[in-house]
Amino acid sequence: MKKIAVIMLSILLLFSVVSCSKSSKEATSSTNEKNVTLTFQIWDINQKAGMEAMCASYTALHPNVKIEVQVTNWSEYWTKLEASATGSQIPDIFWMHTNEILKYADNGILADLSDIVEKDKFSEISLANASGSNGKLYGVPKDKDTVCLVYNKEMFDKAGVSYPDENWTWDDLTNASASIYKATGKYGYMAYADDQLGYWNFVYQAGGYILNEDKTQAGFTQSATQKAMKFYIGLQREDWCPTQTYFAETAPGDAFFSEKGAMYFEGSWNLLAELENYPEMVGKWDVAVLPKCPDPIVGDGRATISNGLSYSAGAKNKNLEVIKDVLKFFGSQEGQILQGEKGAAIPAYENTEYSWISCFDKYPVDITKVTDMFAYGVQSVNNASRPEWKSKVSDTLLKIYAGEIDIDSGLKQMQKIVDDLSKN
Amino acid sequence: MTQSYKKQVFISKSIIYLFLILGAVIMIFPFLWMILTSFKTQAEAMAVPPKFFPSSWKATNFERVTKSLPFTNLFMNTGLMIVFRIVCAVAFSSMAGFAFAKINFRGKTVLFSLVLVQMMLPSQIFIIPQYQMLAKFGLTNSIFALVFPGLVSAFGTFFLRQTYLGIPNEIAESAYIEGCNKWTTFTKVMFPLTTNSVAAISIFTAVFAYSDLMWPLICNTDLKMMTLSSGLSTLNGQFTTNYPVLMAGSLIAMIPMVVLYLLFQRRFIEGIALTGGK
Amino acid sequence: MRQRARMVDVGSRDNKWGLIMVAPTILGLILLNMLPFFQSIYMSLSSTKAFGAYQFCGLDNFVKMFQNSEFWLATWNSVYFCLLTVPVGIFLSLIVAVLLNNKLRGTTVFRAIFFLPMVVAPAAVAMVWKWMFNGQYGIINSLFHTNVAWLTNSNTVLISCAVVAIWSSIGYDAVLLLAGIQNISKSYYEAASLDGASKIKQFFTITIPMVSPTLFVVIIMRLMASLKVYDLIYMMVSESNPALTHAQSLMYLFYRESFIAGNKGYASAIVLWTVLLIGIVTALQFLGQKKWVNYDV
Repeated sequence: MKKIAVIMLSILLLFSVVSCSKSSKEATSSTNEKNVTLTFQIWDINQKAGMEAMCASYTALHPNVKIEVQVTNWSEYWTKLEASATGSQIPDIFWMHTNEILKYADNGILADLSDIVEKDKFSEISLANASGSNGKLYGVPKDKDTVCLVYNKEMFDKAGVSYPDENWTWDDLTNASASIYKATGKYGYMAYADDQLGYWNFVYQAGGYILNEDKTQAGFTQSATQKAMKFYIGLQREDWCPTQTYFAETAPGDAFFSEKGAMYFEGSWNLLAELENYPEMVGKWDVAVLPKCPDPIVGDGRATISNGLSYSAGAKNKNLEVIKDVLKFFGSQEGQILQGEKGAAIPAYENTEYSWISCFDKYPVDITKVTDMFAYGVQSVNNASRPEWKSKVSDTLLKIYAGEIDIDSGLKQMQKIVDDLSKN
Repeated sequence: MTQSYKKQVFISKSIIYLFLILGAVIMIFPFLWMILTSFKTQAEAMAVPPKFFPSSWKATNFERVTKSLPFTNLFMNTGLMIVFRIVCAVAFSSMAGFAFAKINFRGKTVLFSLVLVQMMLPSQIFIIPQYQMLAKFGLTNSIFALVFPGLVSAFGTFFLRQTYLGIPNEIAESAYIEGCNKWTTFTKVMFPLTTNSVAAISIFTAVFAYSDLMWPLICNTDLKMMTLSSGLSTLNGQFTTNYPVLMAGSLIAMIPMVVLYLLFQRRFIEGIALTGGK
Repeated sequence: MRQRARMVDVGSRDNKWGLIMVAPTILGLILLNMLPFFQSIYMSLSSTKAFGAYQFCGLDNFVKMFQNSEFWLATWNSVYFCLLTVPVGIFLSLIVAVLLNNKLRGTTVFRAIFFLPMVVAPAAVAMVWKWMFNGQYGIINSLFHTNVAWLTNSNTVLISCAVVAIWSSIGYDAVLLLAGIQNISKSYYEAASLDGASKIKQFFTITIPMVSPTLFVVIIMRLMASLKVYDLIYMMVSESNPALTHAQSLMYLFYRESFIAGNKGYASAIVLWTVLLIGIVTALQFLGQKKWVNYDV
């Protein structure tokens, strides 16, 4: 018994020693310049290399500043960020997403970065994505993206259909799908019930909107929106389109790269990873601009949802001066090019898209189509209450697909959900 | 031994083996799938309909995952977390379990109901408050943070109380007669009788700690301070996950647990099943 | 003649020891678990804004909750899941524990195999099972020549989750039950064999009563875990699954409300309701234990 007690005591002692060892964050060097180590939180492990490249460049210029890039899984990222913000332990630098920026900015968590951003070098959408409700910039724009059409060339060849081009309309999309299905038995355009990668694009192409100008009301009962929604939801009735139950178990990307379907909408940020992960498919597929609406109620029928992340910092951070200098570098042309060269995201800084495009040189993909679409990009839909209504709207949409409610009642319900929650 | 006795033994043995084999197949099949997948490419893994065997048995996924994750740190952190949690659980829960079972003290029922209440609470409600507690003292991102929720174990207390309730009072009485007080009765007589249950609780604590995903992700920010399960979860991209790599990582993460388990198993299976006094 | 006194000591010395020995556990429980619980109670009576700002609003959250049909469906889902996993799971674990408690050759290997699910990352487990249950190309449909959409059909989704839950926990529960079984003295079995009792009769007359304290713990644990279930369902049933409303347990609903929608106050009301359910079930078990649990005195 005594032996066990001795063992346990020594373990407890060891425990208390070990637990007191953590990485120290600050130390003063002899040259009187403070050595600072900053934490930089991101959620995409595929972009870690790009982020580290920027940090290394900055440290080369300012050796007393070290930046540690830490990756947290997307699904836990926001829980962690909110907990750390509430506990005043927010990371020094972190990625910010349009889904959440209003919540953080409007509650005073984020530092005002208006003075370090070169406002004339970023598009309106990029700046809007980094702003709080009061119009001030609480993030440094990081990247911009578009939604593009990914298609399987082999299936098009087999069905004798010509590849999608700038003149494609919704009708071309459906006709091609039908022909391909008839000739090959494979799915055509795989219309997944996603917002950013699905119906939002169609809604704006038809001239409708998801949220009105001052973001207090939805547009689901508006005629152009209804036209687009009815078109999109109706696609599921076609033989050449999988049902939502299919998508619940197989994402459209997975289906595409298993050669089950000919087309789907993809975000530009996934393209490089897909080329790298599916080497046997390289050469069999390509990208195109999104098909336009043939008879839009308003506008020219062209739209693509364009989102963008930003870099943010905590308002109460004691190293704010250093951090702002770092963020200034991240938002500079040099920093943005470094990011683009690693390939995952298109830098938001104007005229730097070539750095991202160059990563695709070795692949037979017409990647410039992605950047062509910035001309008619629509800001990804968001207001301060979106986290609350996002899942409820999506649940209702799934009910429409499942036939539990009809389209008109369903759209009315979606309208009500958004309006009620956006009232403040 | 008569013929019919031999036959009876044979039949019962066969039945036992039959059930065990059937059960084992069901248990093992998902693992076979995991192992096969870890050698496939992403395309092969997501193939519809699924391919059983990878086209080539290259170890690329294993290489990739060992490059992406600092496995030595992950193993160390997980190991330390488990060891400390086990020590705390065994020490504190044995004492408390014994006291609740064999000592009548004031407030016993009220205090034991606290144990029960904790078991009824879903663990999600503890995460943020516990994180805030650590954050206040700057103790996040450490081994202590990993151990923190496991400093005490309500289930362990409950389980060991049941064990002690099953030990006859005569044993404690005879110790009492020999001059022991409650503490020495516990340490010299009762505790040694619970080896099986202690081992069971150790395994339980280890497994629970090992599979805890959310807490290590929230309390530690540095990848080098993560545990195996939370470290593996960082491989999940926002939109895509490279499944074969994830499987490879999970297999590597399994190995120490399997080894640990085999070591522990011998100890408590061949263990002293004392029943005291019989 | 020695007085055969029961261990009912009222001496202050024993009082002291009792309190000292439970102190670390109780202090830990209060700090780590009770405080958060009280925080949850307070939150359930408030409407919460982001970053920890509360505003007391009485029973509003509860009223809203009881009027919500999604909530009642989630309640039923949790209860149904409990009914699916506990009886079958406990029964199988008991059989496995008994089967493993023998000295046949190769039993060590079998023990290791049954306990394997415990050492694998739950995320990996869920993924593998999701594939096997896949409606289009899953192994399960191929093997049994069925064409059921296991995970997307609202009638079968919880059954599929229950299968995975039972598979994952058999080894777990069997470990605990095995510990209990091994504490049973061999002499009971020897005496019974001499009396001519069959193995099956021995199981019912010796094993079950003697392992009942441990069995009681395992049952309580499984009941609580199944009513609290979240991780498993979260990993098997994604947000875009049409059968989600028929699969989401109370704690899944909590997660969606608390971490996704940010309604921490409303979510805390859901937690309290869940705890109440668990409390009722546990209380019933404790009342019933007198009928079948046998503490050796």
